[in-house]
Amino acid sequence: MVVQPGEVTRDVGGPGAYAGTAAGAPIRQTSLWRDAWYRYIRNRAAVLAGVVFLVVLAYCLVWPAVSPYDPYKVDFSQARQNPSLDHPLGTDRFGRDMLTRTALGGRVSIGIGFAATIVILVIGVAYGAISGFIGGILDNGMMRFLDALYGLPYLPFAIITLAIIGDINFWSMTVALAIASWFTTARIVRGQVITLKENDYIRATRAIGARWYRILLRHILPNTLGVLIIAVFLELPAVVLGEAFLSFIGLGISPPEASWGAMAQEGREVYRTSPHLIVIPSVAIAVLVLCANFVADGLRDALDPRTRET
Amino acid sequence: MSGSLLAYVVRRLVWTIPVVLLVIFLTFVLMRQIEGNPFRTSERAVPESIQRNLERKYGLNDPWYVQYAMYTKGVLTFDLGPSLVLRQRTVNEIVKEHFPRSLELGGLAFLFAAVFGIPLGILAALRPNSWLDYGAMFFSNVGFAVPSFLIATLFIYYFVVQWDVGFPTSGWTNWESKVLPVVALGLAPAAYFARLVRGTMLETAQQDYIRTAQAKGLRRRRIVGLHVLRNSLIPVVTAAGPLLGYLITGSFVIEEIFAIPGIGRYYVTAVTARDYSVVMGLTVLLSVIVILANLVVDILYAVLDPRTREARA
Repeated sequence: MVVQPGEVTRDVGGPGAYAGTAAGAPIRQTSLWRDAWYRYIRNRAAVLAGVVFLVVLAYCLVWPAVSPYDPYKVDFSQARQNPSLDHPLGTDRFGRDMLTRTALGGRVSIGIGFAATIVILVIGVAYGAISGFIGGILDNGMMRFLDALYGLPYLPFAIITLAIIGDINFWSMTVALAIASWFTTARIVRGQVITLKENDYIRATRAIGARWYRILLRHILPNTLGVLIIAVFLELPAVVLGEAFLSFIGLGISPPEASWGAMAQEGREVYRTSPHLIVIPSVAIAVLVLCANFVADGLRDALDPRTRET
Repeated sequence: MSGSLLAYVVRRLVWTIPVVLLVIFLTFVLMRQIEGNPFRTSERAVPESIQRNLERKYGLNDPWYVQYAMYTKGVLTFDLGPSLVLRQRTVNEIVKEHFPRSLELGGLAFLFAAVFGIPLGILAALRPNSWLDYGAMFFSNVGFAVPSFLIATLFIYYFVVQWDVGFPTSGWTNWESKVLPVVALGLAPAAYFARLVRGTMLETAQQDYIRTAQAKGLRRRRIVGLHVLRNSLIPVVTAAGPLLGYLITGSFVIEEIFAIPGIGRYYVTAVTARDYSVVMGLTVLLSVIVILANLVVDILYAVLDPRTREARA
């Protein structure tokens, strides 16, 4: 067999290097996930991003409960203060503490982000798995349909979906954003299923008489898990940004609840006198998106060294 | 060789037709799901008889397939119908008035992204792990994550309010008014370009034929210019698809912030006013642009890289 130069360089940093198979050492048993974990924690940027991501999550979940300020209480005597010791991030134009409001906004933004991501995964996996597993004319037709959906631009599609639901709230935002963005996941899953389907162990399973649903559920879908975990961290930032854009052009959930995008839109009206009111929620969005992107990159390198992207 | 290219182009063109029809159908179906009727809102109460006449005039009482057939026929003859809310205007007029501004904004932003982002990616890839590379990648990652409304607002805050360098805060008239929106819209695509070009160049540099070129003693400048650069710019062509998505999404926000009377801004107004025909017309227009862009990208890709012709039917 001809060894490709590329493969040699890959193996230098490949799984063996991390799994403790140094010369003389006893060979430890290693699993795909442990390998991936070792690869991931060696990637400093990804680890840092993961930690910051968890810190942001914890802040959004915990801070509103322990904060000394009521995030809904309006007090105009405290309105639009700059950051100070009492209010580390200042106050908004209703005198509410921004540190607490931002945590609350994060709950909405990240909540919609995760909820929409789950919907995206469910639709994407079902569509992609059916299309890829059955193949043939059905696959062709389903992919052409997907092509047409790809033609619909993202934001207008989400706006129309919102208009159809009529009401703007947490769940309608989730549905609108998910429906406008499940196509990529469906394509990835389909590609993965088609590749896996041709593997020898699948043929062997079929040869010993396993039913199609057993092959699909037991042998193919579990192997797409890695791709799906990466997809979570690719879709989450996209949804958070999409939600922010929608809220910013006035199609967000209504006050007193607010996502980061809605907070930015409120802040936008007073940017000349109190620029921190738009900067803080926007930076929160940026930090979350940045971390999710780095985590996604790290996961891709860790779970699938073959498609390492520089 | 050119025969297979021609066959590919024809097949790709023919596939575009049902996709466009399907997009029109999907938009039509979606629009019909929206509750309410532009003539039955409480804000614009008109007598029952006039309402009936209006509905008849605009065909709102016809069965859906008649409406769909009429609409498809209209789109194919470049007639997007009348506006349902602004009685005196047709969707075509609205498009004619607002679309050129959005097109100019998007085109200039794309140009900015290419002129700024591609060289940045090349420079970063030429000196991997240098400070220049780190700086470029920092810019690329941040530019990708920071929402454009923050960038646009900060631009206005500093360049107009604080330093007053002569840019207006809004409008779309002289070149001064165009600088800030174009840069604000183009930054994220520039970051995307820089990251993509750097990635593909580093990947190409590891290919066997580059090693061969080095082994036979070619100069670095020639290797980079002739072999690396040419081959790594091919994937950049495919970036145009997602890029167009960014530009459309971004323009909605940028037009809102800088008060540019373009398509994005009008779109939101039309949705809230339930102006079906305008929303449909603009959606179909944007969709067809995306589809045509993908078509051009695929054909360009096939011309540049013959291997794809068989694979992507």
